[in-house]
Amino acid sequence: MTRFHNPLAPKFTRLKNRSTEIKGWVRELMQLPEDTAITVAELACREEGCPDIETVIGVLEPDKPIVTIRVHTTMADVTKADVAEAADVKA
Amino acid sequence: MNTPGRIPVILLSGFLGSGKSTLLNTFLNDPSVQDTAVIINEFGEVPVDHLLVRRGETTISQVSTGCLCCSDTTDIHQTLQDLSSAALEGVTGKFSRVIVEMSGLGDPAPLVNALSGEKNGTEQPQGDAKSIEFYLAGVVTLFDAVAGASSVENHFEALKQIAFADRIVLTKTDLASNLETPADFAALSNELRELNASAEILDRQSADVSALFSPRPYAVLDRGEDVAGWLALEAALALEAGHATRTDQKNGQLRHGAGIRTFSIVSDTPLPEQKFRRFLSLLQDSAGQRLLRVKGIVSTEATPEEPLIVHAVQHVVSRPVRLPAWPDEDRRTRLVFITDGVDPEPVRALFTAVIDAVPFSFSGSFKKAGNAFWASFTRAFSTLTSISRRSQ
Repeated sequence: MTRFHNPLAPKFTRLKNRSTEIKGWVRELMQLPEDTAITVAELACREEGCPDIETVIGVLEPDKPIVTIRVHTTMADVTKADVAEAADVKA
Repeated sequence: MNTPGRIPVILLSGFLGSGKSTLLNTFLNDPSVQDTAVIINEFGEVPVDHLLVRRGETTISQVSTGCLCCSDTTDIHQTLQDLSSAALEGVTGKFSRVIVEMSGLGDPAPLVNALSGEKNGTEQPQGDAKSIEFYLAGVVTLFDAVAGASSVENHFEALKQIAFADRIVLTKTDLASNLETPADFAALSNELRELNASAEILDRQSADVSALFSPRPYAVLDRGEDVAGWLALEAALALEAGHATRTDQKNGQLRHGAGIRTFSIVSDTPLPEQKFRRFLSLLQDSAGQRLLRVKGIVSTEATPEEPLIVHAVQHVVSRPVRLPAWPDEDRRTRLVFITDGVDPEPVRALFTAVIDAVPFSFSGSFKKAGNAFWASFTRAFSTLTSISRRSQ
């Protein structure tokens, strides 16, 4: 018997997939090689006047300090244009 | 195996209401478990979690309000140092293992960094040359089989907790309607493997709880690329200018979303139990999944010496458990709420309205109406008399 698949069930990988998508944008926009690690996290923002949640992106290039990119919105709402603006590159 | 002078620290994480205190209770009440110190960390202005963990004779418990992951890492170092000092000075029993029960909103990254770093030894006072080194020896994360999927989908903290685990324990599997067959378990395990490929996944119903917190090597590299990245990012952020002001934040809410907030209701007088249950039901109906967690201890009118322990997690309210006696001297009702976007004022107003509500009584209403009518009649007669006198 075919099991019922609930299309409305919560998706475990929703945030993980979002993170992967953002990493792809960063790699493309900053023209980073494949071996450069990129990390994405959602944290509360500490700057006055900013939305309370921010998405923080870390670019970990070998032998270099981590470059952090802050987008002042939730991970779910980040767009490629947001990342481009925050990283100061053209989308 | 423990090394002399080195004490293993095991983190116990899991999203709000996943059953951490319940599991810890089971573990601590196991006769084979001895010499364990516990640090209970909770996200709330009124601590109640430590009341919900019944301690064995040899267990030392310390409560840290606020959120360890939001405060400077010296907090965990200080707490560990306090524990070791108390043991060395004979204030408490000695211990050979520490379990840190993290807040349900806790981010493991700062604690893993703190316990994996170089500055995790504690200096002993009074010229004792010995120093105890604490080291990370495992991360146990609980996954609520009923509400966990929703948490992982919507809360980044929940995702991180799963990713950092070297052991994932499925809780409430007996309550989950979608876990009836081995195939269901396999499907859930596969979903979790998408978030953490290397952790051991255990069912709480069949797991050997006494072995869950056995020290073992915890290797960050085994946890995957995401975890390594988060730890590096965490360390970088800690060094950034301005980040050091984290400890200035009130109530440790910095790391968590703006909508997530905690507040409490404290009542000095025992509550009518039915009204209290009505309050919880109304709150749950109106707040829905935005009510992330309610927990607390309640003094009831009928049996004020036997408090009720209440738990609610999102849409699931557990049956309240009555304790045979109060766990401490404080006899007040203490309720802690953790919500996603629900303000404290309407919740407090609802509490007052329901608890103070006078039940409808026909005879009472008739009497009240009669009194009101007589008062109005008296006022009217007095006014008429006064007018009559003035006109004469």
